[in-house]
Amino acid sequence: MPQTTSDVTDLSQRGSSCPLVCGSISLIRWGVRRFPHAARAAGLLVLALLLAAACNAANPLGIRWLPSPDGRVGLPRIFESRLPEIDAAQALALLQSGQAIFVDSRDQKDYQADHIPGAINVPQRKWVELWPDTRSQLPRDRTLVLYCYGGHCGLSTRQGKRLLQEGYENLLVLERGWDEWTEAGYPTQRRPQGKAT
Amino acid sequence: MNGPRPDIRPSDDRKGKRREMRSLFHAISRFLTHRIVLRLIGLAVGGVFIYASFDKIVYPDRFSDIVNDYQMLPRIFINAFALAMPSVEIVAGVALIVGVWRRPAGLVATALTVAFMIGIAQAEIRGLEIECGCFDVTGMSATTASWDLFLRDIPLLFGSALLWRRA
Repeated sequence: MPQTTSDVTDLSQRGSSCPLVCGSISLIRWGVRRFPHAARAAGLLVLALLLAAACNAANPLGIRWLPSPDGRVGLPRIFESRLPEIDAAQALALLQSGQAIFVDSRDQKDYQADHIPGAINVPQRKWVELWPDTRSQLPRDRTLVLYCYGGHCGLSTRQGKRLLQEGYENLLVLERGWDEWTEAGYPTQRRPQGKAT
Repeated sequence: MNGPRPDIRPSDDRKGKRREMRSLFHAISRFLTHRIVLRLIGLAVGGVFIYASFDKIVYPDRFSDIVNDYQMLPRIFINAFALAMPSVEIVAGVALIVGVWRRPAGLVATALTVAFMIGIAQAEIRGLEIECGCFDVTGMSATTASWDLFLRDIPLLFGSALLWRRA
């Protein structure tokens, strides 16, 4: 309670200088009184956000709160520079020079229907089952170009993360994947007509 | 003879059965809202949430991929959701186990469970064959989002809601 005239003046001056802050505090107080459980639940959420920020900052596999600048989600910060994207023209140059092995992260049936010539199929959705048998086909000292269905389909980036953790270093991701490759009219290796899957 | 009218007996029977049902319901309600039972439910629900959060906190990138697979959120929110959700699980779980702010924690747990159920149901309806991301996000013991998981969430929802409304 303000006791003197100067106290009242002080309060009124403070009130006029921070109507937004004082109004917000009043609103929060009213909310806590009116909806105590919801207010405490909101408090738990704030606590959780602080915990999440701390865990993510300390985690070597921590990710950005927003997608990476190139629009990819779920990419650990430490992998961003180690998993660069290339466009179809750059990929074609690598294919023609034979400098890279292409890795098709799509499902087996899509690979069997059509794929980039010479690409090795490692279906990302079957990674756990198929990786032990496929490992020997991918030498660590070669550049690997990973691709999946289209722009940010995610499978090739996921595979890139797995391969980085397996110790592969020279990895590139075809930015818009199979869609970009076929739209550009670059060569593909189609399954012979009439051959069973 | 002023014997009982035959048309009154079924009504009496119905009233009696209704009274029995009501007393049974009250007995179950009293049992479920007993201090010790609520404490045990809090331990169970809290334990499930804490256990579910470990893998997601350790591998936020993989959980983010799974959230992306559900195709429910705009891309801009996927990473933030994948980072925040496991921490919400762990905070709510700890509060339920310790018994501090149990009703607010029950409210948070209920909201999370409803969100899980909506995610699983829409994935099933849309025919998305995706990992559930419930407990394991590394793909080592991956479970596909399915109606079984939806049904499995019902007891969790019941326990969470009970803690929210009655703790």
